Amino acid sequence: MSLALPRLLQLASPALPVGAYTYSQGLEWAVELGVVRDQATALQWIAGLLEEGIGRFEAPLTACLQRAWAVSDQSEVERLNAEFLASRESSELRAETVQMGYSLRRLLHDLDDFPRPPAFAALPEVSFPAAWALAAAVWEIPVADSLIAYLWSWCENQVMAALKAIPLGQAAGQRALLVLGGRIPALVQQALDLPEADWSNFAPGLALASSRHETQYSRLFRS
Amino acid sequence: MTAAQAVEAATGWQARLAVGFERRGEQTVRAQCEHFGPLRVQRSLYPEGPQVCQTIVLHPPGGIAGGDRLDIVVAAAAGARAQLTTPGAGKWYRSGGRLAQQSLTVRVAEAAVVEWLPQETIVFDGAEARMQTRVELAAGGVFCGWEILCLGRTAAGERFTYGRLDLATRIESAGRPLWVERGRLTGGSSWLAAAAGLAGQPVSATLLLAGRVVDRHWLAACRDLVAPEGVLTGVTTLPEVLVARCLAPGVEVARQWLIEVWKVLRPAALGRVAVPPRIWST
Repeated sequence: MSLALPRLLQLASPALPVGAYTYSQGLEWAVELGVVRDQATALQWIAGLLEEGIGRFEAPLTACLQRAWAVSDQSEVERLNAEFLASRESSELRAETVQMGYSLRRLLHDLDDFPRPPAFAALPEVSFPAAWALAAAVWEIPVADSLIAYLWSWCENQVMAALKAIPLGQAAGQRALLVLGGRIPALVQQALDLPEADWSNFAPGLALASSRHETQYSRLFRS
Repeated sequence: MTAAQAVEAATGWQARLAVGFERRGEQTVRAQCEHFGPLRVQRSLYPEGPQVCQTIVLHPPGGIAGGDRLDIVVAAAAGARAQLTTPGAGKWYRSGGRLAQQSLTVRVAEAAVVEWLPQETIVFDGAEARMQTRVELAAGGVFCGWEILCLGRTAAGERFTYGRLDLATRIESAGRPLWVERGRLTGGSSWLAAAAGLAGQPVSATLLLAGRVVDRHWLAACRDLVAPEGVLTGVTTLPEVLVARCLAPGVEVARQWLIEVWKVLRPAALGRVAVPPRIWST
């Protein structure tokens, strides 16, 4: 038996101390505006972003980052990390990935026997996908599994944010996760082979929600 | 039909415009202008004095059909200031199956400023189009540009029910990406209606100011603007980028808000009073 699965479960766990639970990625403002107000509208918001945003940009980019780390291709890691940071739609979304990347880098440096590639320490700002991809590469997690877990973690975090912000009950959350989880394998299959020219991240509704969240008067989340 | 015309008929119009600006003393002059096919500079004007060269880019056919390809290259040498606009809406016609493409490349040298403020782009139902914008800034160069995208001829009640639009906007400063946005919009898709996508609005408009460290007062002033009725607006910042975006039920309300944003940013970030080009009101 390989160690890849327990390592992957550890990486994808909400117990990973990177603060993911403090971010809603604009969902809190969508709730404030009323466009997300129940299980159905929460699922539409999250599934739309899963399929048209994160699944078509962050996922294929994370796969490329993991492949680059696996062969120690420092310049490709730097390029993809810069590309991801420049693709963030708002101040808060950029701050979120930089904070989570910073926290994961610090954590990995604190683990016994975890290698410290100079390229990792050298990145002035580490995006969360860059840090995640290094952990997945070091722990020899197959790229497809790493992407399934990456998208799952994102969905789980969004659903938990919806439960708090709307609010919704736990069973509603699990029903939403069943639907979202069911869409992940096909998205990962697509992301593994998606040429960079076909990546897309255009989500103006998300960008507006996140920009507006920056001045939202009363809020629970940092994005 | 000549051989060249036969090729044209088979492949669509190919057009290219390369326009370069230089600073000579106090004046910005149009130092280079090459064109091929139906794309040209209508004229250059100096409505606010010699420092800023206002240039009107004309595409006489007015619309882009399947198989057409337009390439526009704008280059501003050190210290030059250029403002480019268009006399009317850009139109992407129903394609008939072939892809239509427009590529805009803007190169801005040290201490130069390029404003790219075209009128709206109307994507007809059934268009198959690709729009690429690439801005390359040298250290100290500034770009301020907008895109007002209207899906369907909304004035006639048309929506974008089939066809495809690929968008790619990229801004780099000294080779490093500052802004990357790419979209694939499919006519009639659920993403056009999704709240996180286009929220059912036919118009998506974005203004980008890049190459200046954004002062929080500019951001606050843009956020304080009152949005026109029915328009959802948002303003945010990234390193050396200010983004002002809206989703709107029509072109005029979107443009009205973008012009207000531009009136805040031009004096603040570009050091010049914002005088709307006369051609916008003709």
